[in-house]
Amino acid sequence: MRLALVLCLTALPAFADVQRAIDTHILPGYAALAQATDDLASDAAADCTPEAVRPGFNTAYDAWISISHIQFGPIEDLALTLQMSFWPDPKDSTGKALGRLIAAQDPIVDDPAAWAEVSAAAQGFTALERLLYEPQSDADYACRLTQVVATGLADKSAEILADWPAFARLMTTAGTDGNTRFQNDDETRRALYTALSTGLEFLHDQRLGRPLGTFDRPRPRRAEARRSERSQHHIELSLAALENLATAMIDGDLTDTRAAFAKAQELASALNDPALAGVSDPLRRIRVEALQRTVRDIQNAVNTEIGKPLGITAGFNSLDGD
Amino acid sequence: MPSRRAFLAGLTSASLTPTLGWAAAGNPIALSAAMRPDGQHVLVGLTASGGATFEIPLPARGHAAAAHPDVAEAVAIARRPGTFAKVIDCARGNVTQTLHAPQGRHFYGHGAFSSDGTLLFTPENDIATGQGWIGVWDRSAGYKRLDSFASAGIGPHEILRLPNGLLAVANGGIRTHPNIGRDKLNLDTMRPNLALFDTTGQLIDFGELPGNLHQNSLRHIAAAPDSNVVCGFQWQGDPFDAPPLVALYEGTGTLTQAQMDDATLFGLDGYIGSVSAFGQGHYAASAPRGNTTFVFNGEGAQTGAVRATDVCGLCAAPDGTCLVTDGTGRVHSLKDNALSLLATHPLAFDNHLVALNQV
Repeated sequence: MRLALVLCLTALPAFADVQRAIDTHILPGYAALAQATDDLASDAAADCTPEAVRPGFNTAYDAWISISHIQFGPIEDLALTLQMSFWPDPKDSTGKALGRLIAAQDPIVDDPAAWAEVSAAAQGFTALERLLYEPQSDADYACRLTQVVATGLADKSAEILADWPAFARLMTTAGTDGNTRFQNDDETRRALYTALSTGLEFLHDQRLGRPLGTFDRPRPRRAEARRSERSQHHIELSLAALENLATAMIDGDLTDTRAAFAKAQELASALNDPALAGVSDPLRRIRVEALQRTVRDIQNAVNTEIGKPLGITAGFNSLDGD
Repeated sequence: MPSRRAFLAGLTSASLTPTLGWAAAGNPIALSAAMRPDGQHVLVGLTASGGATFEIPLPARGHAAAAHPDVAEAVAIARRPGTFAKVIDCARGNVTQTLHAPQGRHFYGHGAFSSDGTLLFTPENDIATGQGWIGVWDRSAGYKRLDSFASAGIGPHEILRLPNGLLAVANGGIRTHPNIGRDKLNLDTMRPNLALFDTTGQLIDFGELPGNLHQNSLRHIAAAPDSNVVCGFQWQGDPFDAPPLVALYEGTGTLTQAQMDDATLFGLDGYIGSVSAFGQGHYAASAPRGNTTFVFNGEGAQTGAVRATDVCGLCAAPDGTCLVTDGTGRVHSLKDNALSLLATHPLAFDNHLVALNQV
């Protein structure tokens, strides 16, 4: 039985990794997001006070951060990435969009069907975090906003999940007649690898890089989800999710990749710095910098142990910078 | 004694006998630098159907080329901070001459011929001062270096000749020094612009974005048949705080920004690779770091977005479509806001497509 399976995999080496990434990583990730956001919407409908909604918010936000690196497929085709979470947000688009709705007492919050038309910055987990963790002067309107944001997140997550099986078929039938999305297996593997490498880059440059700023000018208020003190938690979640994707998408020697992920997880969990406020403290900052360097080690290991064996090199043009 | 400008003007009217025309090189509609799987860099001629008419080895990585309007001759110009340019006979497939930047200058990878093909213009950096210059070379005298004129800015990157005979220069605004690679030395004070010259080097017009957008580096430009110029930018500030990265110059002294909202800009890393004006008033801009090409109408409204991995090269095709190349070797056709694959080559196409016989 085991021998048959091995032969089968050997006969279809091109599909094996993609199918496994879809079955064990992508589909379960979106299913968990759909379930958690549905629960969140139910919680908010039953009791929209921040205290009542926060537990469901945290579970659902966990599910989002664990799948948010998959930026191709239905979420891209439906253009929902920013609607799910608007970050980085240096222009404070989230604060402005919520402020406009609140100042106008905009009745659109009572119309979930029309809600998708409002600014993306008001729709996502980043907006919900403000409503649940910042003082709200108008509790009644904030309550209705909380409910419509939660319902919107559930609707969007359900839509993405519903579209994934059809998209998964495109990924596993690359090069067949009528498949204009994936013309060969190389494109499919490249989509997965791009999700992995872009996710690691986002972790290094944004989740860690933005609050670190420079030694002379640390930027703790730029940490993702600092209001809910989830910044460190997001780093740990994305490390776990990206390692899961890395090990799902290829059979091969991932010794260095696994070791770098393990070291990064160890450093991340030892930070004890939920909102990354420590970037302003030279002694605690060193630990965040060490974590960032270890993420770079992961990037290098992934390039060597996954990118090169799959024949994927970094973009000739995207890396050029001229 | 004739003035420098009168001297250059006189040269422009001089004629020369064409040797082999582009038909002898297989009638390509565009040129592109590219890299073969073994690392060899080449200059490629591409046909309207995406085929390669020639592949000529280059001594180092190319960037863009200046294509002669009539003769099957291209000048492949070293990318910054390179100092050589290779004159290539595209019909016979050989390098006929090597041009060298004057002492203390380097090229930026781009160049353009005058409409009659007698003069070649090359953007250059004066390394000691950081001032931008446009070098002038006389093709009829064996690419003798004639002169140069100030580019009216720092970091002149791309130069184009427009249908109305003027030259458009994208002054990127960023000062670099070869001794420290591509490090950017003046991000706080940079001031990019689009400068329009006649072929004698007389500054005719000048377009800038508002001062608060001074970190939007103008890098690549393309001409429309009415001599409007579409501009592609590379934002030097926080990539998540990027303004629109495409603008249009309509001969009015200003640059009008296209409409690109936050959702569009997210994920582009503030970086546009190439631009093109094609068909009836359409504009395209490629974002290689976002694997996307955007399409705009003449009012600057975004009408479409199409995806291709590591996309960069764009140029107008004679049939009103836009030819598109990417770093994975594909040649596409962009029409009606949709991309169709024309051909795949065992090549990584480099940054730019240079259209032939378009102006």
